[in-house]
Amino acid sequence: MQKSVYSITKNDLFDLFSRLARDNRIFVPYEYKDRFLFGEFDPVKEAAIQLGGIRQTQPLKSFLNPAREKILGEGSDGSKPVIVAGVKQCDLSSLVLQDFVFLKGDEEDPFYAFHRKNTTIISSDCTFAKETCFCMAMAGRPYPSKEFDINLSQLDGFFLAEIGTDKGLAIIKDYKTFFKNARERELNERDRIRENVSLQISNFIEKRNTPDAAGIKGSVKRQYDNLAMWQDFASTCVECGACNLVCPTCHCFLLFDGRSKQKTGRLREWDACLYKTFAVVAGGANPRKHLYERLRNRFDKKFAFFPEVLGYTACTGCGRCIEACPGDIDLREVLKALVSGSWNKPPHD
Amino acid sequence: MIMHKNPYEYIDTEVLKISRETANIKTFVLRPVAPIPFRAGQFMDISIPGVGEAPFTPSSNHNISDKLDFTIMSAGRVTKLLHALSVGDMIGLRGPYGTAYPIDGWKGKEIFIVGGGVGLAPLRALLYALFNNVKDYKSILVKYGSRTSKDIIYKNEIESWKKAGNVDVEITVDVGDETWKGNVGIVTTIVKNPGFDMNTAVGVVCGPPIMMKFVTFKLFDLGFKPNNIYLSMEKNMSCGIGKCGHCRIGPYYACKDGPVFTYDKLKDLPNIWE
Repeated sequence: MQKSVYSITKNDLFDLFSRLARDNRIFVPYEYKDRFLFGEFDPVKEAAIQLGGIRQTQPLKSFLNPAREKILGEGSDGSKPVIVAGVKQCDLSSLVLQDFVFLKGDEEDPFYAFHRKNTTIISSDCTFAKETCFCMAMAGRPYPSKEFDINLSQLDGFFLAEIGTDKGLAIIKDYKTFFKNARERELNERDRIRENVSLQISNFIEKRNTPDAAGIKGSVKRQYDNLAMWQDFASTCVECGACNLVCPTCHCFLLFDGRSKQKTGRLREWDACLYKTFAVVAGGANPRKHLYERLRNRFDKKFAFFPEVLGYTACTGCGRCIEACPGDIDLREVLKALVSGSWNKPPHD
Repeated sequence: MIMHKNPYEYIDTEVLKISRETANIKTFVLRPVAPIPFRAGQFMDISIPGVGEAPFTPSSNHNISDKLDFTIMSAGRVTKLLHALSVGDMIGLRGPYGTAYPIDGWKGKEIFIVGGGVGLAPLRALLYALFNNVKDYKSILVKYGSRTSKDIIYKNEIESWKKAGNVDVEITVDVGDETWKGNVGIVTTIVKNPGFDMNTAVGVVCGPPIMMKFVTFKLFDLGFKPNNIYLSMEKNMSCGIGKCGHCRIGPYYACKDGPVFTYDKLKDLPNIWE
């Protein structure tokens, strides 16, 4: 199977991006302080582009289900094809869930379907891991194995490019002068890096004793009425919804009407189940009045609902929510408490 | 953008008639520019362009798809504006969504219907659907609870329901007054053993959550089987197609797996009445 892996130098890759940028909108990760942020490909800022690293601050859903989108009314975004490069496995793992929500069921969501078809995904291996990374507890790996069109593995000054789909193959065929067949020792070097990063993540998981997806099964139900536990974890929650917005699997949205001068239109926007009004009905009745109920709902949805209806846990171990939470609520600690039934009361300062 | 059918698109709809039921409830007769076939129990989203939309269950006979009744209480942002509409105004309708009452399976059975407040609206659609073939059903009992006699909806119509055959209707009010000659007490006070065959008897409940809770418990105590008790669950249904996430109840979405659920599906789930 190694024959579908090619090598390309960094210069050639950026040259390829420049050429592809004529007919596509290309988004690449830029390194900024200790973060990676998606931005439109700009050759002038080449030095800051980092295709290795770890997952970006923005989840992949930003491209497939934009944070705000017009769904009724005049005017829609252009349909120029999009290429997203540098996507990590913990985002690819979210696709099975997002696809289930938006493409399956009685009705397909035509907006998501459009973006999904219109987007080429060039993923890449993680070149290191952060303490908040726990993809391997959620059946993931720090390198992609499927769901990509092309996957890049960053080596010293060049990349290995693995083809995932015909769409990926077409790009490599169109620009075949940039690519050479990968050599055995390059593949070995790629595998060595993959093992190293995997080991780092295993160590983080072990050190914290983070439970895995199989171990978490059934635990939300078991601890559902452990109100003291939920209340403790919710005690520092400020209901900002950041955990929802950065989560690659969160999909809930709000429909509302926007108005400007003569034009009206219906928009949809990412919603957050931590917000007080999320489940409120007309007249004001709220099935989840208390913040701890809403925090519990988030875990119920991810670790009970999705496993039940789809067979997948709706957490990819990206760790974004841990980093984003201003109340220092660590999803891994909640999962540990769910499994063990005991927890340390979070410190209040 | 080349796309398939947009599920969020509504059908332009004219307000044909508005009649006042109570101080805060009106019935709207709506005419969509294209007929919208539905089955009793299913809901639709009514849109006020530039304002928003909200879910409602039609209250008219599902044999008629080009003119639909909606009985709406002014309770929230959208409903307040609906109450401000005039005949001739154009609004939008999309749907129908979710599950209907499986009335074909109820043939030959005894049916016990309990409504509370504006919750009688979807039940009116159910009753008209049953009346289409009223002889197919062994017996239809309706119990309706209202806050006061002034809050009773379909006042001029309820008497005529009794003439449909095999149908009886009883009304109670929570708080009596000098004009009210009937029963005083919450609706559970008139939910009594109807002498039905409890292996097959069908119970139907629609109303405010607290009423549904106690009526369901009462029906269960009377011997109705949980898989024969049909509940219309009110949740924050928004997209209508199981995607926006707002109306989840355990493993279900009220908009696509409901709004009509049998009690056996819900009884072991936490907090269903809230």
